[in-house]
Amino acid sequence: MKKSLVASFLSLTMILGMLSGCGQPAATASAPAPAADEATAEEAPAAEETTEAADANEDVTITFMASQDWIQDAEMELGEKFTEETGIKVDYQIVPSDQYESLLMTKINSGECTDIFGGQSSKFSIVTQFDVEKNAVDLSGESWAGNVEPAAAEELSAGGKLYGQPIQDVSACWAVAYNIKMFDELGLSIPTNYKEFCDVCEKIKAAGIIPIYECVSDGWHHVCWTEAAVAATKADPGYPDALNENKATFEGNKELTTMFSQLKEMADKGYMGDNYMSNQYADAPASIASGEYAMVLYNQGLGAEVNAADPSFDADNIGYFVNPLCDNQALNVNYCGPSRFIFSGSKNIDAAKKYLEFMASDESLAYMTENVGKFNQLPYTNAPSAYSKVVQDFYDRYPEKIAVFQASVKYYNPAWMDIGADMSAMFLGEMTPDEVLKDIDKLRAEQAAAASDPAWK
Amino acid sequence: MNKNKTYPGYFAAGALIIYFVFFFLPGLIGVGYSFTDWSAYSDQLHYVGFENFKTVFSSDENYMKIITNTLSFTFITTVLKNVIGLILALLLTKSIKLLNMHRGIVFMPSVLSTLIIGMIFKSILDPKAGLLNSFFRSVGLEVLAKKWLVSSELAFGSVMAVDIWRGVGYIMTILIAGILSISSDYYEAAAIDGAGGWQKFRYITFPLILPTLATTTVLNVIYGLKVFDMVYALTNGGPGKATTEVLYTAVFKKFGTGQYAIGTALSSVMFVIMIFVGIYMIRIMTRNEVVE
Repeated sequence: MKKSLVASFLSLTMILGMLSGCGQPAATASAPAPAADEATAEEAPAAEETTEAADANEDVTITFMASQDWIQDAEMELGEKFTEETGIKVDYQIVPSDQYESLLMTKINSGECTDIFGGQSSKFSIVTQFDVEKNAVDLSGESWAGNVEPAAAEELSAGGKLYGQPIQDVSACWAVAYNIKMFDELGLSIPTNYKEFCDVCEKIKAAGIIPIYECVSDGWHHVCWTEAAVAATKADPGYPDALNENKATFEGNKELTTMFSQLKEMADKGYMGDNYMSNQYADAPASIASGEYAMVLYNQGLGAEVNAADPSFDADNIGYFVNPLCDNQALNVNYCGPSRFIFSGSKNIDAAKKYLEFMASDESLAYMTENVGKFNQLPYTNAPSAYSKVVQDFYDRYPEKIAVFQASVKYYNPAWMDIGADMSAMFLGEMTPDEVLKDIDKLRAEQAAAASDPAWK
Repeated sequence: MNKNKTYPGYFAAGALIIYFVFFFLPGLIGVGYSFTDWSAYSDQLHYVGFENFKTVFSSDENYMKIITNTLSFTFITTVLKNVIGLILALLLTKSIKLLNMHRGIVFMPSVLSTLIIGMIFKSILDPKAGLLNSFFRSVGLEVLAKKWLVSSELAFGSVMAVDIWRGVGYIMTILIAGILSISSDYYEAAAIDGAGGWQKFRYITFPLILPTLATTTVLNVIYGLKVFDMVYALTNGGPGKATTEVLYTAVFKKFGTGQYAIGTALSSVMFVIMIFVGIYMIRIMTRNEVVE
């Protein structure tokens, strides 16, 4: 009898324990439902909010997931300062670039994303890919929102609302960065078309140097060569719109076929060396500094990064010229770039907003510009400018600017990694340039069909 | 105590309900979704019949290659893990010096995180600066220095080799337990009858560890069909379009791009394959089972 009493008591205690455990979230549920959060934040009296926030911040940790190279050391240093000032801790989750997109989309689609996530801006793909109106927090009312450069803000807006905050300098473009001293020693000059570029590569190769550092294993870098597709826009300015209206295809386009064929030719001729399939993007500055390679497709911060890898290498010893595939001579501009978004399902929306506000302050923008080599002009009206002469010369040399496909063509950016896999297959001889183009059409059609795009019906 | 006494059926009700709600039902719903156009881009859900399955089996797509890759991976790694595991188990049940140390070394990779092993081997197999190729070059075997993970001919083999290296210790440990459970009387009797080492293995060890081998095979096949992290860390399905792509990396990518319906269709196809493989395998492996 005694035994059964004890057993009954223990069972009752266990059941009560379980019930109280289950009841726990309900007690805190008054806080952060995604949609309700903003309204609550707006309605709450400011003074009360500050007091509560000060207490609550002790335990708040916001998570920020981004692809490799999107979160700079300087940002993490600022993050520490942010923690000192606000008490809010920041947990940076940096994911290898070849795995990032799948992981991010899985997290977003499963409703379990980090408080802040990094994503490429583009007025098309932030809607079709991220569905920002559902998955991200409207940032239009933030104090810094008005400081974002209009061209960059347009790529982060949907339905007239701003959903993201630019991370990087979007004035920089993917251009061929080269070792100036090496070019001078070999008597080389900046090529103005593909044939001249091949001649330059041959001479560099003959000198026992690998002409181009390429890194296919990252999955995305080699796709940056396709920004030469601006040549297709130049040949037919209506081509991007025709693609968006499903009245044109990639397959059969003369410039694009030439572009992929030339890329394959560059690999086959050994201009990228033997290890371009396994090279890694992170090793590019060191590889250029070592003198083993002469050129790499990079943004306008390579000089500083090479100098950081080898202080004896002068940052101004790196010059730039435009990607010469398809004889392109226009600057491939893209106001899209990695950006921060606040996940609408986050339980720390207010803390995440504070982080974004901190990162967009005058001091933070100045700190990032000073400490990140490739940041010359962050896309904020309150950010300082730090173009070097070499970079300024490069921009001045190419007055014609054409928007890249990432910004001008729907469903191109979301297919970036798939295009990378196709190109990798092309380098291995498993696909032809025509097949790659055909597959891009297919990838875009799949995205369009999933998005119920009327142009594809 | 009455040994024939059976417990009433409702004793199993709790377990059955939990299994039905948390395992069977989600699986069934998953199969149901594979007949729809479920995607992250639309809130609407429409019945599309066998459209997703047509895509999976279409010659224009590479899903069949992905399924073939998964089955090849499963078959090859299962056979090799069992064979190598058995050889190691036989060696490490002999009286040799530092026996436990040897067992520990072979078993160690199995307790390491697969992702970490993947990262480490990605570095070891780097064609330019990797440990393996550097070793070959340093001993004058330049010809053996290959592009292990980035050539279409070698990548899949390399991934399987790393997975076998990782998993063989685990299989070996199970087989050691099986071998040690065989009574030494059989071996003594066989020795008196003049049986050699091979005959002892052929007529005593092998038949008596068949149930253990059945277990290791089932474990390997289930692991092989569900493999994800090793491929993800080493090649992420590359190089190229789908050189080393297996089912779960493909499903992961499809979910990542919001194409849920095709992802669930792929899972459903593999579910059917798993059922057939499972039934066939258990029948074959238990047919000649010897009970000690």
